[in-house]
Amino acid sequence: MDELELLKKDWKKQDANYPKLSYDQIYNMLWKKSFTIVKWIFIISVLELFISTFLSLLFTGDDYWVQLEKYNLKQFTEVLFVIGYAITFFFIFMFYINYKKISATDDAATLMKNILRTRRTVKYYIAYVLIYNGLTAIVVFSYMIYFHINSQDQTLTKYSFDTLDWIKFIGVGLIVITLFLGLIWLFYRLLYGILLKNLHKNYKELKKLEM
Amino acid sequence: MDKALEHQFVTNLERDQNIVHKICRIYTNDQASHNDLFQEITIQLWKAYPKFRGDAKFSTWMYRVALNTAITLYRKKKRGIQTQDYDTVHFRIKAEEYNDETEQQLTLLYNAVKELNDIDKALVFLYLEDKNYRDISETLGISEVNARVKMNRVKTKLKNILNP
Repeated sequence: MDELELLKKDWKKQDANYPKLSYDQIYNMLWKKSFTIVKWIFIISVLELFISTFLSLLFTGDDYWVQLEKYNLKQFTEVLFVIGYAITFFFIFMFYINYKKISATDDAATLMKNILRTRRTVKYYIAYVLIYNGLTAIVVFSYMIYFHINSQDQTLTKYSFDTLDWIKFIGVGLIVITLFLGLIWLFYRLLYGILLKNLHKNYKELKKLEM
Repeated sequence: MDKALEHQFVTNLERDQNIVHKICRIYTNDQASHNDLFQEITIQLWKAYPKFRGDAKFSTWMYRVALNTAITLYRKKKRGIQTQDYDTVHFRIKAEEYNDETEQQLTLLYNAVKELNDIDKALVFLYLEDKNYRDISETLGISEVNARVKMNRVKTKLKNILNP
């Protein structure tokens, strides 16, 4: 293609026209912060942990634990907290490993594979958050129904439901849980999805080369 | 990291900085993004520098790290609405000896390159830099045959953009 040859000729001519940075200018750049996507994923995951911890501390005052005690859910919640944090820390650790492993000196295909592994970790993480919250919501919800049925509390009897009320109650409950999970899913899709969308496109492009 | 290494690195990069500028020109559309990408590439190069053993030429090694940063690690969306009119002053400077027709053709060509996706841009860039297919295949992590096939496809793509 003649055009490309013309382009090549001009490309070489342009050599003199590039900006020239001084030694000091380059030197100063070395210590600036890097803003790569993979780093962002790691930073966001840590921030998220802090924010969620902060929020749960804010909402779980003494009252909250007294309430839980009343419903016999205290132990259950404590176990859930421990498991939840253990898994979250595991994911943060994985994000960190991914971040460390990614090296710009690999060839583009290897590098992209590593980045896509990060993407997969993110996906698993989102799935975990959804399952964890979903299960918790369902367990607490069912337990409340169970508690209500078996309750000997006189004050509750005046609210006693007939079958239709129960169906309505459970229906509304399920819709609320679904909406709640949907919101979480949307939030994570936006948070991490944007960061990773283009990379996936590039990887597919690169894969096409091999065919 | 020690001062000697730092000095060595900056000296090398100062000497070969044109490579980075060229990549920035292909991958960005305005001066601000150009500077951002340049900085990100510098940081990535510096981070990877301890692993650079000097068995390859500094510039060869630089091609790989810099291109990788542009294709995969750096993903800042262009600000504002993307238009066809690229900042040509940023992209290239007119050469005196061309006539108007050649000049126009070149502008179209550069704009066509801008339309390509990141991987294709990398191929064109390496081609313009007179890299052989072995270098291209090693930088991108594909086989030599595929690099050749792909380059032909890119040429066709460019032709289609130029003559729709």
